[in-house]
Amino acid sequence: MKSELTKIIIMMLLMFVVSCDEPDTVVTNIVHADGSITRKIEMRSPDGKSEYRFKTSDLQVPFDNTWSVRDSLEISPKGDTVWVKRAEKLFLSVDEINMTYQKDSGTNKNISRNAGFEKRFRWFNTVYRFVEKIDPKMEFGYPLSEFLNKEELVFFYSPESIKEVYQNGPDSAKFRSFGDSQDSKIDKWLTKSLVSEWIGRFSYLVKSEATEDLSYNSLKIREDEFVDALSRNEKNFDSLWTNGIMLREMIGEKNALKFKTEADSAINMVTNNLLLDFKEYSVRIVMPGKLINTNGYKDSSSVLLWPVKSDFFLTEPYEMWAESKVTNFWAWIVSGVFILFVFTGLVIRIKRKG
Amino acid sequence: MGKNSENHNRIINLLRASRPIFNSASDIEREVIQKISQKNRSETVLSDITDFLFGWVYIGWVRRSLITASVVLVAYFVWQQGTIIRQIKYLSSQPVMIESESRSFQTGFSGNKAMLLKLFGNKLPTQNITISKEQMDNLLESVNDLQTQYRELIKLIEEDPELKKYLEKKLTEMNRTRIKL
Repeated sequence: MKSELTKIIIMMLLMFVVSCDEPDTVVTNIVHADGSITRKIEMRSPDGKSEYRFKTSDLQVPFDNTWSVRDSLEISPKGDTVWVKRAEKLFLSVDEINMTYQKDSGTNKNISRNAGFEKRFRWFNTVYRFVEKIDPKMEFGYPLSEFLNKEELVFFYSPESIKEVYQNGPDSAKFRSFGDSQDSKIDKWLTKSLVSEWIGRFSYLVKSEATEDLSYNSLKIREDEFVDALSRNEKNFDSLWTNGIMLREMIGEKNALKFKTEADSAINMVTNNLLLDFKEYSVRIVMPGKLINTNGYKDSSSVLLWPVKSDFFLTEPYEMWAESKVTNFWAWIVSGVFILFVFTGLVIRIKRKG
Repeated sequence: MGKNSENHNRIINLLRASRPIFNSASDIEREVIQKISQKNRSETVLSDITDFLFGWVYIGWVRRSLITASVVLVAYFVWQQGTIIRQIKYLSSQPVMIESESRSFQTGFSGNKAMLLKLFGNKLPTQNITISKEQMDNLLESVNDLQTQYRELIKLIEEDPELKKYLEKKLTEMNRTRIKL
């Protein structure tokens, strides 16, 4: 047991080292009332690096030489030296941000990201909405909301520190049990989404040659059967697939022989999406006026925060949005005068009538 | 008494001695009429302004429209403010993050990927990692076993209320110690 644990720790550490080249990145969007956005990116070298270079290919969020960049050397609370790169740029509209995303050549270039801004005049107030959206990687996957209830979803998307707050709060027993039940539900979600995605991709690839039994609808009817087969052979799925045993069980010997290449291509597309090479970062949003609604997490200075993890946008778009309002005082005055005017008119009428 | 009537007579005599000279009675008459008509005119102007501003109160459809508009405005204001207050109240009830924790999101390894690793061990993006297939198999095997043992342990705890109570107590104590530290 001890040796197994050691193995796990060593392997995890190896994997962690591999994924640790990228800097700790926080993107802050300061939204202005006119729709312009001051975007700040703060990148910190990973802990324990004696020397660090910010390579474009490692950066999670795009920026170029049109940004004002400042480099500094700081000491972390642990006493380590940290290389910090701060970049800042004023974007006149979200379209400019979207163009930057389109030209991204960083580590997360394969994901589709965009920003949106909306200004709605609501007489007494003007409401502003800013959203950063990441498009889903899977086309045929299932929404997570079909597997987790509302509270579990909140818990799933919460950052670790918030999860701890929930787990030590008044409903601690409920939230502590979430962790265990959630894992199995998420496994189910991933398995079903994986099978659904494979069906979608495979049926598309064989569309022109295959018979009706390999059409999308026919395969979809057998989806649960495939999920069962996958769950039963979870441990040795990889070898069963490589040897063609799994495919034969799923679509029959004749079809398996004929469409092996297409089936492999489809599974490669699925795995590329699932094992997405994505480097995590955090998004912060500062809204104009008073914050009235959001799906983010507030810090003590009312700055909103979101973690950006690959699990969050596998099957559904991941939206980080915030709404704020600015009071239109002139509208309050105009409305007040109008109501007073109508009221006075009515009083005069009553007086004259009397 | 005698002194008072004496004073009175003296004042009367004084007033009689200095009485105004009436040149023309028609002048006085004109002046009085002018004064009276001036007073009436200012009252008419005020009434004209009031009629101009509030004449709509006598036109049924205008009166009804303006009253409706006022009611709608007040109702909209109440609804909008109520919604905003409710939303702000909900937001303030949400847990607040500590700034320094904004970076703790980046774990580098997502727990949910364990399941995917089990399925697609050899399809992992390799980058510059050099691990043999045997090592990877060992890792996946270990993760599987660990998960099985963990589930068994949880089941064991769930089935034994006394053990569960004991563990919960210990966990609470641990948390308390952590806070103290």
